[in-house]
Amino acid sequence: MSDHVDGPRQIGDPAADLTDFFAFTSPENPGRTVLAMCVFPYAGENAIFSNVIDYSIAVRRVTVAGIGNAAKFQPVDDEIRFSFRFETLKRDAAGEALQRGVCKLPDGRELPFTVNDEAGASSPEGDVRVFAGLRCDPFYIGLDTATLKPVPNQLQHNNVLGMVVEFDTRRMLDLAKGTLFGAIAETIPPQQKTRIVPPVARVDWVGRPEQTNVRLNNPGLSNIDDIRDLWNQQTPFAIPKQLQPMFLDRLKASFAEWDMHDGKVDWTPEALDTNANVFLDDFLLFDLDKPINDQSHLEIEKSTIEGRPYRTGGGRTVDANVFDILLTWLVNRDREFLQGGATGATKPGTKTFPYFATPNTELQTIVESVELAADADTVWPLISQFGGEWNSQLARVDLIGTGVGQLRKTKTLDGKEFIDRLDAIDNVKRLFRYTNIAGIPASNCTGTLKVAPKGSGSVVEWRMQFVGAAGVRGRLSPLLKTGLESLTFRFGGPK
Amino acid sequence: MSAIVELGLPCPYATDGEIAAINLESARRSAWTRFAQDAQRPGVAEAVTHNERQAAQFLGDLDALDRLETLASHFSSMNSSFHAALVEAEVASAAHRFDEARGHLARAALMGAPREAIERQTLAIDQACGTNLDAVLGARRRMAASGRLDDLVPLGALLADLERFTEAAAIYRQALSSYDDVSPFPLAWVCFQLGVLWGELVPVPDPTLAACWYRRAIGYVPGYVKARVHLAEVHASQGRADKAEALLLPAISSRDPEVNWRLADVLTEQGRFEDAETRLAAARSGFDQLLARHLLAFADHGAEFYAASGNDRQRALELARINVANRPTRRAVRQAHAIAAIANEDAKLPA
Repeated sequence: MSDHVDGPRQIGDPAADLTDFFAFTSPENPGRTVLAMCVFPYAGENAIFSNVIDYSIAVRRVTVAGIGNAAKFQPVDDEIRFSFRFETLKRDAAGEALQRGVCKLPDGRELPFTVNDEAGASSPEGDVRVFAGLRCDPFYIGLDTATLKPVPNQLQHNNVLGMVVEFDTRRMLDLAKGTLFGAIAETIPPQQKTRIVPPVARVDWVGRPEQTNVRLNNPGLSNIDDIRDLWNQQTPFAIPKQLQPMFLDRLKASFAEWDMHDGKVDWTPEALDTNANVFLDDFLLFDLDKPINDQSHLEIEKSTIEGRPYRTGGGRTVDANVFDILLTWLVNRDREFLQGGATGATKPGTKTFPYFATPNTELQTIVESVELAADADTVWPLISQFGGEWNSQLARVDLIGTGVGQLRKTKTLDGKEFIDRLDAIDNVKRLFRYTNIAGIPASNCTGTLKVAPKGSGSVVEWRMQFVGAAGVRGRLSPLLKTGLESLTFRFGGPK
Repeated sequence: MSAIVELGLPCPYATDGEIAAINLESARRSAWTRFAQDAQRPGVAEAVTHNERQAAQFLGDLDALDRLETLASHFSSMNSSFHAALVEAEVASAAHRFDEARGHLARAALMGAPREAIERQTLAIDQACGTNLDAVLGARRRMAASGRLDDLVPLGALLADLERFTEAAAIYRQALSSYDDVSPFPLAWVCFQLGVLWGELVPVPDPTLAACWYRRAIGYVPGYVKARVHLAEVHASQGRADKAEALLLPAISSRDPEVNWRLADVLTEQGRFEDAETRLAAARSGFDQLLARHLLAFADHGAEFYAASGNDRQRALELARINVANRPTRRAVRQAHAIAAIANEDAKLPA
C-alpha cells in the first residue's frame, strides 16, 4: 500500500519509513506550491521523528523527451532540496516532551519549527511555511488487489508523521525555464564511520505512490525475489545502468500480470514496455502551469504514453484516489474506473495549511451507571473486590497477587479475555482505578468504578477512557451496561 | 545522536534511545488497534508480536507476555491457517514453553507454513534449549554469511554458550560494524551481549570491561532495564552503591522485580534496612506474580532470586530443576548444581 512498509529494512525504524509524497498547488493561494511527505506507517499518538535522519525532498526540472511508445521524461541534473532535521526531545515548563526541528531551504535559509505546532512556522519574508507533526494518514486503499473487489479502507483511523513545505512558486522556481517538474522524497541516514562495507545512502525514497509495493513487488507474481530494499537504496533520478534491466524486467512482468487481472487484454506488449520505461523513472511529475486536482494524478504520464499532450498538472493532492487511479490504468487502461470501497481517508485533507487532517487520537470515554436501592456503604464492599464476581458477564475470573498491582484475568460469557491491573483503590471515596493491559484493542485504556450515595440508595458508575478505533466503543459499552444492570438483582433498583 | 567512542571501537550512530522507545510504544499500540480493526489482515498479528517482544526485551515491559498470550488466543480463535500456528509458536517460545512451541510448529508445518519460517523458529528453540547445537551452529554460520546484525548476534550468543568466547566477541564486533540502520535497539542488544560475555560468561570475568559495554547499551537505549540491572550489579560489586541506586531508581516503573531485588541489596549495603525490606517485599511479590503467570519464562531468574536475597533455597532449587527440565543448557545445569549445593548445606544445618 502506497509506500508503507515497503521492504524488510523499513521495519527497523518506522520513523525512517516513507509512506507517501505529495505535490500540489496550495488550495489557499494559487501562487504557492505545496510539497509534503509522510513517514511512520501506523504511527501511534506519541510518534515522533528520528533525530538522525535527514528527511529530504528533491525537485528537478523535467522535459518531455518522447511521446507514445517512445514516452520519456528527462530530468535535468540540477535540483533544489528541502531538508527537514529534528532534535532530541526537550521538556517544556510543564515537563511535557517536545521536539523541535529545522527545515533547510534550497537557498540555504533555515526555518526552525516545533513539531505538532498546528500553525507551523513561516520565514521572515513570508515566502515559505513549514509544518511537521502527527496527522491522519491521507492515503486510503479500498480495493482487494487479488480480486479487485471493493473493501473498506485498509488504513482507517491510521496516523502518520507528516512534513509540509509551502512556498511562493515564482520566488522558489524559475517558471520561465519550464513548468514541468519531477520530485522525490527520501530518508537519509547518517553516514556511519564504523561500517566495514560502503554505507547505505538512504533508508527509503518515494516518487510516485506504489512503485515498490504494487509495481515492483506485485503480489500477483509468484516466486519472485523481494527487490524493494534494493530499489530503496538506489539514487533517485539516477538508477545505475547495470541495474536498470533487472528493474525494467520486473516492471514489465508486473504490468503484464496487472493487465490480465480482469481477464482482458488491454495493453499491447509495446505499450507495456512503454509503461515500464516511464515508471522506471520514478519521480512525481507535476506541471505548475496547469491545474492540479484530485483527479489529475498520473494524467501527464498517461496522456504522454497515449501520444497526446497532457492537460493537467498531474501531481498528487492530499485527497487523490491514487490507488484506484493507478490500478485502473494498469488493469484496463482507463476503460472503466475501478472504484474501491474507500473514497477518502478517515478524515479528508483540509483546504487550509497544513492540509493534512488532524490525527485520529481523540480520547474516548464511556460512562455507564446504575442506580441501586441499597446505600453506598452496603454496595461498596462488593464492588471494591477487584475480581468483579458481581458482574454477571464474567464466566471466569483469576486473580494474581493482592492489593495495588494485582492482576485480574477475566473471560466473558462470549469468550473474550481481558487482563487488568489494579492501579489505585480508595475506600473513603469508594472508588478504584485499573488499567487494561490486554484484551481491549485500544491504547491508554483505563477504567474507574465508583460508588456514590444517591438519596437513600446509591449509584455505581463505571467509566472507561481509551484511545482507539471507533468500533471499540460499540463493543465495550454493552459489556459495562449489562454488567452493571446485574447489580439490581442483588441490591434492587431505584426506589 | 549517540556516538560513543569507548574501548577504541566507535559505535554507529542511531536514533536517540528516548525517541526510539516512544516510537516503539507508539507502534506497539497502533498495531493492537489494527489488530482490533481486522485481526485477519495479513501481517498485523505478526507486527503485534514483533513490537511486544521488543517492548519486553528492551523496555522491561513484562506485561508483554500477557498481552502476547491474549493475542495468540484471539488470533487462533479466528484464524485457522498456519499464520495463527506460527504466532502461537512464537508466543509460546517467548514464554519459554518450548515443547508447546514445537507442537505449534509441527501443526504449522502440516498446514503448509513456509519451511524458512518453521526453521527460523526451530533454530531459536534448539538454541535456547541447548539441543542439536552442532546443527544449530552450522545453520547460524550459514545465516551469518549475510553479514546482517540480526543474523550475527544469535551466532555470537551461540558461540558464547559453547564457551568459544574470543570468537563470540569477534562476531559481536562484526555485528556492530555491519549495522546500517538507524534503530538503536539492535545496537543496544549487541552491547548488552558483550557486557554479559565479559562480565559473566568468561572464566575470569572483567567487570570493568563489562560495565563499559552495559554503559554503551544504556547510551543507546536509556530505558534498557536489563542493562541497567546488570550495570548496577557491577557497580554494587565494586562498592559503588550510590551509582547502582541511581541506575536502578529510574527502572522501577518497569515493574521488573529484579530491579527491586537489586535495589534492596544496594539499600542493605548502605544500611537503609527499612527501605531495603520494602523493596525486597516488592521483589518477592513481583517474582511470585510472574512465576504464577509464566513459570517457565522466569524459572531461572526466580531461582537466582530465591537462592540469594529471596532466602528460600528449596524454592530456588525447585525452580532451577524446572528450568533444567525445560531447557537443559550448560548454564541452567550449572545454576541447578550451585543451588543444589547450597540447599544441601541448608539441609545439613540443625533445625
